[in-house]
Amino acid sequence: MIIKLERIKLQTRKSEEAINITPQVEDVVAKSGVQNGVVNVMTSHTSSGLLVTEGIPCLEEDILTHFSRLFPEEADYHHRRYLDFDGRMGFNADAHLKSILGGISCMFPIENGKVVKGSRQTIYFMEYDGPLERMYFVQVLGE
Amino acid sequence: MIDFHTHPVLIQEFARKYRNYERVAREIFQIGNNFQPLETFFLQMDVAGIERAVLLPIACRRARKDSVSSNEQVAELCGMSRRFIGFASVDPLAKGAPRELENAVKRLGLKGLKLDPALQDFRPDGRKVFPVYEAAAALKIPVLLHTGMSWAPGTALERGHPLLLEEPIRHFPALNFVLAHFAWPWVWEAVALALKYPNVFLDTSCLYYDSPKEFFQFVFSRQIPTTVIERSLRNQVVFGSNYPRVEIKNMVHALKSLALTEGCLKKILRENAERLLGMMNSE
Repeated sequence: MIIKLERIKLQTRKSEEAINITPQVEDVVAKSGVQNGVVNVMTSHTSSGLLVTEGIPCLEEDILTHFSRLFPEEADYHHRRYLDFDGRMGFNADAHLKSILGGISCMFPIENGKVVKGSRQTIYFMEYDGPLERMYFVQVLGE
Repeated sequence: MIDFHTHPVLIQEFARKYRNYERVAREIFQIGNNFQPLETFFLQMDVAGIERAVLLPIACRRARKDSVSSNEQVAELCGMSRRFIGFASVDPLAKGAPRELENAVKRLGLKGLKLDPALQDFRPDGRKVFPVYEAAAALKIPVLLHTGMSWAPGTALERGHPLLLEEPIRHFPALNFVLAHFAWPWVWEAVALALKYPNVFLDTSCLYYDSPKEFFQFVFSRQIPTTVIERSLRNQVVFGSNYPRVEIKNMVHALKSLALTEGCLKKILRENAERLLGMMNSE
């Protein structure tokens, strides 16, 4: 049984963006030596997300636009208060809620050393509160 | 556009380079966010439409056992990018403080003085501080003081009252005083000082509850009328964000949500800062 965990840093460049990380995940799997097993991918933050959808720009735009319609920047959020543990105001409830809605992780099978996924499936790191340096985990389990 | 109020306390490269940098951020400045590469600072400026940012250190070694960024660190960052405008900070009660300020300006190229009476533990109207004001006036640099509420534990609210500055403001008419955070909650007192004294400027970096937009709408349209800024103080207000306690973009959006004319916004977001920093017609 092989268990391998990679921590991958990512510099986001906009307030919100969808970044295709499929090649990075496939690379970790290829280098892991695992032939049959699973790969888990997860963001390490609560104001970013990870989701899987068809990899085309119109959908990237639709996700961000409609998540913002559901959770607009300006709304009656209780999070808008001073957070003493952070030494600053919390006013990014919209980003946290988008993270919950879109999810923070995904999992794919591995077969013959390759990620098994549908032909349209693309893995996205979702920035909802950027720009920031972010990190996500890729864990490969198998043999 | 210029952001007149930022603190370089979460620079990842400095956290690796300087031994006490992380402890100071956590224990003295008391911020819990992750350290970020310098690139993030520039990207935060970019998404907010900010071209240049004033970096503010706080020389609070006597009161807090260490300083929040040193003058040398600020100068080092300014050496890395022309987008940064560095201010110096000195302990105004320390022997040789005026000379230290002169060195920071002449040797390190810093462009202003930052003081925080609460965190540095001094009375801004104390006569012992006056030599530092005098040195700043002689160097023709502005002095930016923390005014208004301070979250820092162990500090007295009273130290941030803007009327404590009236005597220095009167005594040094050639020295420009920037009252940070609009001196919230004492915004009327801050406004009165700015109305009465032409050497008083106010920075917009105030956020103590709610979101930036909500807070600005309350402070700048209900606590004081927006027209005071538009009609009377348009030449004496500068934009400040207080990054990284708040993201710059949110404060820009909040300012732009006010019923201010384009001409007034231009002064707040650029021209007043340029005048204070002596940058007019220089680039």
